[in-house]
Amino acid sequence: MENNEYQYTESPFNVSRRQFITIGGIVVALLALPVVWVKYLATSRNDYILARTKGLYRDDEKAKIRVSHANPAVAQYYKDFGGKPLGGLSEELLHTKYINRTKGLS
Amino acid sequence: MHNETMILKHPLRVRIFHYLLIISFLPLALTGLALYFKPFAEDNMNLIMQIHIVTGGILSLDAAAFFLIGFERVILFIKRMFTISINDVKWFSVLGGYPQKFLFKKKVPVPPMGKYNSGQKLFGMCVLIGGAILIGTGWILWAFPHNLPRAAVAFMGSLHTFFGLLLTLFLPVHLFLGVYMFDDFKAMILSGKIPYHDAQSTSPLWVEREVMPLK
Repeated sequence: MENNEYQYTESPFNVSRRQFITIGGIVVALLALPVVWVKYLATSRNDYILARTKGLYRDDEKAKIRVSHANPAVAQYYKDFGGKPLGGLSEELLHTKYINRTKGLS
Repeated sequence: MHNETMILKHPLRVRIFHYLLIISFLPLALTGLALYFKPFAEDNMNLIMQIHIVTGGILSLDAAAFFLIGFERVILFIKRMFTISINDVKWFSVLGGYPQKFLFKKKVPVPPMGKYNSGQKLFGMCVLIGGAILIGTGWILWAFPHNLPRAAVAFMGSLHTFFGLLLTLFLPVHLFLGVYMFDDFKAMILSGKIPYHDAQSTSPLWVEREVMPLK
């Protein structure tokens, strides 16, 4: 297709071995670095969430009172004021209703 | 037919790489501009995005294939692009003599160049670095936008936009000067060959140092 129609061509590989290794090494390193960076970003994406979860578990382990029904303040509320858990007064005071507040955002 | 002495400047695989570059980058540039300025309705913008993604896939496959098959040519190209001498400073000081030629029809002395002149070298550097960044960020923005932190994805989006606009701005200059140097244009688009005497005048250092007779 291309033969016999030209009399000259360029030297097939006008690069020394040292230049080939240097340039090739730089190219491979420049291609590898962003891959390592993106991999680091992908794996460290949940670092904040994981740290927060760990902190919550640690606080929970340290806490003296770990369930609401063992809380003396809650027990005192029911004894002095609220009556019994899930009673009418407590439900009226402590429970809330779902309100869709997303409509006003868009 | 004339019996002019010819040099094979662009081998077939380089031309195939360039053909695929043309059919992928031209639509990528146009759809990229449309995606940036958003002049159309939503349906059309979605279609434009699909075209952008498909042609981006073609461009990345083309680049990856050439990188793997013609790795030694990639190395040679990088060497040529990043080999800078005082001649490049002199070339840029007269802008290759093009403005004088176009505006005043005056010919000024231009330092001897290798296979690529200094303007082409600058363009080549931008294509090499910008193209790699565009391909890398393009794939991440399309395929893995939710696997990375939002700030990192936004940064990659900005990089993609910047280099996309930069290469798109280079495109008309490249097309104009490509067609202006018509023998080189024909060599890249058609035969791969350039007349020896033309190469001697446009790329004397290349002819002197790298061109050799066919055995």
